[in-house]
Amino acid sequence: MTVSENILEFVERLGRWGAAYKPRDIAIFCLVLVLLIGIADYSAGKYVSLSIAYVLPIWIAAWYVGAPYAFFLSLLSVVIWIYGDAATGLTFPDFFVPMWNATIRLMFYVFLIALLQRLRTLQHTLASRVEERAAALTREIAERQRLERDLLDVSEREQRRIGQDLHDGLCQHLTGTAIAGHVLAEKLALEGHPETDDAGRIVDHIETAIGMARGMAKGLHPVERGSDGLMQALEEFAAATSEMFGISCLFECDSPVLVHDQAVATNLYRIAQEAVSNAIKHGRAKQIVVALENAESGLKLTIADSGTGLPEVLPSNHGMGMRIMANRASVIGADFLTRRSVYGGAEIACTMIAGSEVIGVAHG
Amino acid sequence: MAEPSVSKRASVFLVDDHPLVRESLTSLINQQSDLFACGEAEDAATSLREIARIEPDVAIIDLSLKSGSGMDLIRSVKARTPNVAMIVLSMHDEKIYAERAIRAGARGYVMKRESTKRIIAAIRHVLQGRLALSEQMAAGFAERFVGSRHPAGESPLEGLSDRELEVFTLLGRGLETRRIAETLNVSIKTVQAYCARIKQKRNLSTAAELLREAIRWNEQQGDN
Repeated sequence: MTVSENILEFVERLGRWGAAYKPRDIAIFCLVLVLLIGIADYSAGKYVSLSIAYVLPIWIAAWYVGAPYAFFLSLLSVVIWIYGDAATGLTFPDFFVPMWNATIRLMFYVFLIALLQRLRTLQHTLASRVEERAAALTREIAERQRLERDLLDVSEREQRRIGQDLHDGLCQHLTGTAIAGHVLAEKLALEGHPETDDAGRIVDHIETAIGMARGMAKGLHPVERGSDGLMQALEEFAAATSEMFGISCLFECDSPVLVHDQAVATNLYRIAQEAVSNAIKHGRAKQIVVALENAESGLKLTIADSGTGLPEVLPSNHGMGMRIMANRASVIGADFLTRRSVYGGAEIACTMIAGSEVIGVAHG
Repeated sequence: MAEPSVSKRASVFLVDDHPLVRESLTSLINQQSDLFACGEAEDAATSLREIARIEPDVAIIDLSLKSGSGMDLIRSVKARTPNVAMIVLSMHDEKIYAERAIRAGARGYVMKRESTKRIIAAIRHVLQGRLALSEQMAAGFAERFVGSRHPAGESPLEGLSDRELEVFTLLGRGLETRRIAETLNVSIKTVQAYCARIKQKRNLSTAAELLREAIRWNEQQGDN
């Protein structure tokens, strides 16, 4: 530790001490201290000078009471010192000598007061600057979180809009077209045209297209409105995953879990989706359990798998998914944690703090 | 192709918010020797008025309409003109909506992606007084009927303990597990255990089914 650091620490400690008392009390304390030192100075006799001891009350006064009061104490201590010396019978050859000594001593005190004032101002500036920076940083963090939330919300809303357009617009249009095709096929059949089968095949193709568009719409807008939407969506998702990848993906939900906030439901669904996708892609899991429950601490979503588990250091693309999941959790005010699952692979748990699902998330 | 038992053509009213679907369906229906399209509408209010005026044999209703809900329309039509057989023609999955639609008063459910082949057959089915559901849905219904110790319509009260019944009733009122636990002064885990037992006793496979059953029972209690 350098000398300057030592001084700074001492100043800081002094600051903490001084902050506990009122300036008036400190002023009285300093005055009493000067008088006591004066008596001690007088008692010590004419050959011993205690002038350095006056520095303490002057220092304290300059720091906590103010420069004028410290200057007053300096003057007082100089006067006491001269009178004390005179009272002990010390004589000077000339009146000029004690005056000169007193002036030098006073100059020293004034110099000390000025230095302390400067130090004090510096310390104050530093403290307020640190406070300002901390406040700016807090604002910055809040703003960043708001932006992240908005970003997720906007992209979610956009996806929902496209999904709804696909579902309510394109799919309906294709349905109309398929029926029109069927009408044509029936007409051709009535008239005995050999092209009847071709028309039938076109209808089949259109129906396949409806299925594809519907699948896309489902992917973009997976959670239907309504408080039981998340339960339904996760159930369908687990069934579809089992079917698509030939693995066991179970949805466990013993008692109904209602989620009234659409944004919360959608974010939880996306977390489950990402976790399941990671379990299959990176963990090569053959068994996945998605569980939704009302735990004592709040609504809880867990995704546990039997895969290879999470690596110590996440590769960047994997880490990105993890960060997005954690971010989604923080957006809806949920705790997010990863650990080893009872099936041997990874487990991701997302717990809503009870009641937090109603704040801070814009509804789209 | 089954010939209708009546000599006159059966009238079909179309409710769909998409013009191309209405237009194509009209052509398809009019092309049948035993059916004709007697009118169409795109919103719930007009549909209800027109169906009450025309009293068609069959109404084909989409669940999502320009204004108003298809499910509410089914209930209103059922209340006003119970003789009109309704078939839901919807983009939505039958697994989620078919049962609700049937309970609301519809006689059939056809998903739009398979509509071209099934819709005409479905119309003829309901004209003969039968339900028109996909094989999968019909099998599910039958299984529930046979598998359950309690035939459809019988009160779910029987077989449930007092505590289970309390949980079931509160679920039906839309209370969350947490609130139920608070109301009954037990832990959430206990409520979950009750739910698991109710599911087992009522032969329900998922929590979503349990919730639907509880809400439906609660609504029936309200109607009585």
